[in-house]
Amino acid sequence: MYRRLLLSLQSATLRLDTWINRVLPQDFNPLYYTGGLSNLFLTILVVSGILIFLYYEPSLEGAYASVEFLTRDVPYGVVFRGIHRYAADAYLVAILLHLFRNWFTDRYREARDSQWLSGMFLLVVSGFAGFTGYLLVWDERSQLLTSLTVQALRSVPLVGDRLARVFLGGPGVSDTTLPRFLFLHVGPAMTLYVLLWWHYVRLRHPKIWPPSVWVLFSLGLLFILASALPATSGRPAQPGASPEGFAVDWFFLWPYVLARWLAPGWALALVVALVAYGMVVPYTLRETPEQRGVRALGQAVVVEENCTGCELCYYDCPYNAIYMVPSPYPGKSRAAANRKLLAVVVDSRCVECGICIGACPFEALELPRMLDKDVQQRIQRGARAAAPVGS
Amino acid sequence: MATVPDRTPQAEEAAPRVVGFLCDWAVRSEGLLSADDTLVGMPHVTVIRVPCSGFVKPGWLELALRSGAAGAFVCGCPMGDCLNREGNWIMEDRIDQLRKRLSRQKVDPERVAFFAFGLHEREDFLRAVAEFVDRVRGSGGKR
Repeated sequence: MYRRLLLSLQSATLRLDTWINRVLPQDFNPLYYTGGLSNLFLTILVVSGILIFLYYEPSLEGAYASVEFLTRDVPYGVVFRGIHRYAADAYLVAILLHLFRNWFTDRYREARDSQWLSGMFLLVVSGFAGFTGYLLVWDERSQLLTSLTVQALRSVPLVGDRLARVFLGGPGVSDTTLPRFLFLHVGPAMTLYVLLWWHYVRLRHPKIWPPSVWVLFSLGLLFILASALPATSGRPAQPGASPEGFAVDWFFLWPYVLARWLAPGWALALVVALVAYGMVVPYTLRETPEQRGVRALGQAVVVEENCTGCELCYYDCPYNAIYMVPSPYPGKSRAAANRKLLAVVVDSRCVECGICIGACPFEALELPRMLDKDVQQRIQRGARAAAPVGS
Repeated sequence: MATVPDRTPQAEEAAPRVVGFLCDWAVRSEGLLSADDTLVGMPHVTVIRVPCSGFVKPGWLELALRSGAAGAFVCGCPMGDCLNREGNWIMEDRIDQLRKRLSRQKVDPERVAFFAFGLHEREDFLRAVAEFVDRVRGSGGKR
């Protein structure tokens, strides 16, 4: 059932690609660059965030006023604030597209689980940073979000009170609270880069940037949005006031919308459960490759006699699954006799794609169940050798 | 292996031999190939399915031409959508290099080609193959 659903989603995803490819040139299809687009928006967020940081004052009295000053009196301040707000939404849209696309097109399984897991961490940390961003404005919405969060954290068994204390930077909202929020916004944003290292570490030449036409388009769109629909604050937070409603940013604040029907503690539990499910997604379908309709050709094997240590496979492997090690002994073939290096395949990273075989001009790599000589035979059968080779 | 009847030059002219490589993740191959690995409706086009277009050695394409095929092609996924992220870019590069090598050897570089078609683009794929066959007609069997 679940497998059938995934298959039809895969089919739908690729059909969508086909349609977009009719309109746009293939290499500009934005769905092929969801990861690069996320990174673009993250960069925009960091740059605009630094500009906002220059004006921000993390104190109970000064926070709201400093954001208002940025919005009203600083030239183009309102634009930068708007860009920071809308780029955050665009960033989340891009990473969700990235998540679903890679989920539906089977790009998260087996050797690629480390990208999926790091991606889930990136999603959680991004969501958290986006949420704390709404606290920094310190208007009525921030106040309500704070009290809901504190309620949710307090309802965690055993450590609830301590969590709430860590969140607020003290027993209650005090002068130390906003510096704490500021850290909870900027700290996770920096953590994102550590997680991105994990996200990329097994990839050779990751596509981390979209084509420049999409960079310009995204930037332009953000400028237009930020100018046409300026980001605004609500009324300033008042000690003791208990605001009821607020304008919802559905992308980051949806758990708080649930709080209308659920106790905050349960909303928190729901988010934790969703994330926990996300973490096990790569391991839910334990199928053999045959059941998936994929031929298992076996992981690439280095034919040690022939390897010349030329590093071509090492450069082409998209998964960093080939390491070059100092050659322990000379190869047998003439080209390999004086090699300095030897290629080694890291089994846990190899996805059996065979790209290294295509890269190797020395017949030093093979997929065990699709050998070079068999392919050659099939080629010759197909071409029906009319003339002997070399004549 | 059934023995293959000798093909007359006329037959070769009408339907030149072509060897192609098709990525498992590109065009859906159900019902596309007949039992002897040739395209349904195009018995002169042999297709070898590969796990990724990047698996194909340029030497194999050369071997196909040398063994009498009029042309050889590789079909991968749409550019930018390779399951292995890079296979089709790498293959496109390799074919460019192979073409340069072929023209140095006085072989028409147009006899090798790279296509990029996705799961749902079977019609486009078949059309591209038919056009390719037309283009290489008359090049086979000599070197």
